[in-house]
Amino acid sequence: MNRIKHYKTFKGGYKFVNFTGQPQDKLIELGAPKEVLIPLRQGFGNEVMPIVKVGDEVKAGQIIGRDDESISSPIHSSITGKVKEIIKKNYFRREVTFIVIEGDTSSEWLKLDISEKDWRLCTEEELEKKLYLSGVTRLGTCGIPTRYKSSIISPNEVEYLFVHGIGSEPYNILPKTLLSGKKLFHFIEGIQILKKILPKAKIYLCLSNKEKKLSEEIEKLTYDFDWFELALLEPKYPQGYDEMLVPTILGKSFPYGYSAANIGIISLNIRAILHVYEAIVENKPFIDRIIALSGPGFKENPHIKVRIGTPLQEIIKNYLVSETRVRVILNSLMTGHLLNDYSLPVDSTFSHIIAIPENTTRELFSFLRPGLHSYSYSNTFLTLKRFSKRPDTNIHGEERPCISCSWCEEVCPVGIIPHLLSKMVKKNMIDERLMKYGIFNCIGCNLCSFVCPSKIPLAKNIKDGQEKLIVHGCDRTQCILPYFDLKGLEEYRGIK
Amino acid sequence: MIRKLLDFGYKLLEKNKKLEKFKPVLNAVDGFFFGTAKTTISSPHCVDCIDIKRFMVTVIIALIPSLLSAVYFYGLRVIFLIIISYIFGGLSEVVFAIIRKREIEEGFLVTGLIFPLTLPPTVPWWVVAIGIIFGVIFGKEVFGGTGRNIFNPALVGRIFVTISFPKIMTISWYKPLVKGIAGFGKWKPDAITSATPLMLYKSEKTLTSLKELLFGFAPGCLGETFKIGIMIGGIFLVFTKVANWRIPLTYLLSVFFFSYFGHIFSPDKFAPPTFQLLTGGLLFGAFFMATDPVTSPFTNQGKFIVGIMLGFLTVIIRVFSGYVEGVMFAILLVNGFTPLIDYLVVERKYGRKYKIIKY
Ligand code: SF4
Ligand code: SF4
Repeated sequence: MNRIKHYKTFKGGYKFVNFTGQPQDKLIELGAPKEVLIPLRQGFGNEVMPIVKVGDEVKAGQIIGRDDESISSPIHSSITGKVKEIIKKNYFRREVTFIVIEGDTSSEWLKLDISEKDWRLCTEEELEKKLYLSGVTRLGTCGIPTRYKSSIISPNEVEYLFVHGIGSEPYNILPKTLLSGKKLFHFIEGIQILKKILPKAKIYLCLSNKEKKLSEEIEKLTYDFDWFELALLEPKYPQGYDEMLVPTILGKSFPYGYSAANIGIISLNIRAILHVYEAIVENKPFIDRIIALSGPGFKENPHIKVRIGTPLQEIIKNYLVSETRVRVILNSLMTGHLLNDYSLPVDSTFSHIIAIPENTTRELFSFLRPGLHSYSYSNTFLTLKRFSKRPDTNIHGEERPCISCSWCEEVCPVGIIPHLLSKMVKKNMIDERLMKYGIFNCIGCNLCSFVCPSKIPLAKNIKDGQEKLIVHGCDRTQCILPYFDLKGLEEYRGIK
Repeated sequence: MIRKLLDFGYKLLEKNKKLEKFKPVLNAVDGFFFGTAKTTISSPHCVDCIDIKRFMVTVIIALIPSLLSAVYFYGLRVIFLIIISYIFGGLSEVVFAIIRKREIEEGFLVTGLIFPLTLPPTVPWWVVAIGIIFGVIFGKEVFGGTGRNIFNPALVGRIFVTISFPKIMTISWYKPLVKGIAGFGKWKPDAITSATPLMLYKSEKTLTSLKELLFGFAPGCLGETFKIGIMIGGIFLVFTKVANWRIPLTYLLSVFFFSYFGHIFSPDKFAPPTFQLLTGGLLFGAFFMATDPVTSPFTNQGKFIVGIMLGFLTVIIRVFSGYVEGVMFAILLVNGFTPLIDYLVVERKYGRKYKIIKY
């Protein structure tokens, strides 16, 4: 049976082509570091309680934080050693408890202490328990549902599972590297395991339509899975967002501002599926992670396998270029956080570390240059697709008033009018009209700020507007709840 | 070198408090020569390479064929007129920037070039000066500068001089130079003719041949005659996305449509469609003035509506009014409707009610 289906892309968006410093097809394993800082809140879920004390000996793979009462998944020590301290630290604008472990750099880890039966013979409950104990269930925007409060919905409520590896960002982890050799079979098995846990789900693997070879291989391996489909999509930013996957694949509108889990959809990436496989088949707790070093700010762009909790310093110190100042960004060039404290550790949400040069040089006649290597939404540069584009942090121009060129509207994937909203917010016209014009539909992809020739921080203005509106007592529940029939726990639905 | 001069200028400003006011001028010059050193503050960490300067320069590049043809047909005096236009337009921009204490905006680079190109070749230089000053002040600055203006400044200036000096603006035209290097070696043409193709049609019902129209051998305004060049420039603009394709396309199509049917019903009043398309300032207006992003609607539907309105008005004015040319009036009129059209389209788009969606 034909498992491959091509989908038409959405309206708006922008294709980033040929940015220099794409991750290379190369995987380096970074062993256990001397010291790790493990945040007790990683990925989806609430912060868990530490169940170890300072001075305790821990093994890699031992659970050190767990809270079965609230929505969360257990957290493991990623190295073998001794608990040095338990501290609170600011981690991405949130106060999080960290367990600092000093280790002996041995690479061993403790297997999950559950029977190693073949998963096909296990009951669903056993599988769910194993998955929960391995900590893998905290992956994805809303966790993987099990009966152990790891997500906001229960496994039976999941109707669709999206596995995405589209690669619509400027920098993308290569599915080819993740699924090389045996890994591909592991991946397929991981999908089967998930199907068993989520019995009602139809599973879509979303790949870029450029991945011809990979998709053919996968098609061969999955020909008799009638619950599986390979969706090939145009790798246009922000296609990889859940908010865009649902309309393109299912043709339904999305309750913007909510998680896909609220409509019975779970979306995971390729690595998450591999982690599922490792947890169930190899009894491996979730202690390491593959991260792609991307961007021209690195000397090399390998994929690196690191233990969770490894300080950034350890990972990037050998790779950062030394000639220029660089800016290090987490996960996405468009929406990522700035990483300026290299002592912070890697947690389970990291997938890319991007470094681009800080560019503060002033070019002579910058606006008259042909711009062979310039990236732009417009075609005003003499550049071709195959010329490499080297991103930097310069804003390439002065801030000017909006000229209503409506490029921001053209690229906006959700079809709102960013410049109109931004102007209203700037003029302090905070009222229901903002809501009517869909300010809460904004998915924060930042494309509008990217394309604006007047360099207006549109996405930021829109965020400000949302915050001001919330102060005025309007919030997104009012735009969504009357029109959608949402699932999930009440506290995650905005029902008070 | 330039850097040193500029730094010297900045030092001077710092020392002398009175000169402080001229900071925008220096900033503008500085910005003109050098790109910015600013970097992004938060996400997105990397932004598009285009800026308003390049945006405007693209329009100027698209105008080059028209500009060259203007010089070719009407002599080097054209360059003189453009310089006048830039000087006076620039001065009024600078004065306002100083009064308002804001930066000088790049919009006048385009206005200062488009304006003279829409004038008849015989125009005296002081008319150019008055027109551009009026256009910049009343077309743009009274509304608060680029981005807030409702009307296209070049057009405001053009209409103002048309109404104030009707004799100068309509009566005499030069016969274009065509031999050899033509205008590149001459200050101005000497042969005077009295009518453009549109006028000829209106008074005598004679149609000028297509070839003459396409290549610009027929008399007309400076930059408006060489249709092929305009089309090349216009298509370039659309290709670069600086001009949206929707307005020119619907505009031209609707002119074609209205004049086609008009011609069928009353052949002696309506000129045939191809003639309509290739005469006067239609192509120039459609590609370079109607597409001005500031004064055209930002909604796509609005753009279509405007295109159709423009086409209709242009044909109507050409046929039924005392003026032979309707493009400028049509664009200016429709500019006035733009905010309303946008408002209606946006209201319609977001006024819909949704049904409950079940998953
Ligand atoms: S992209 Fe910038 S200049 Fe263009 S309409 Fe949007 S806000 Fe205005
Ligand atoms: S308005 Fe929001 S969704 Fe639209 S482009 Fe801007 S950031 Fe993206």
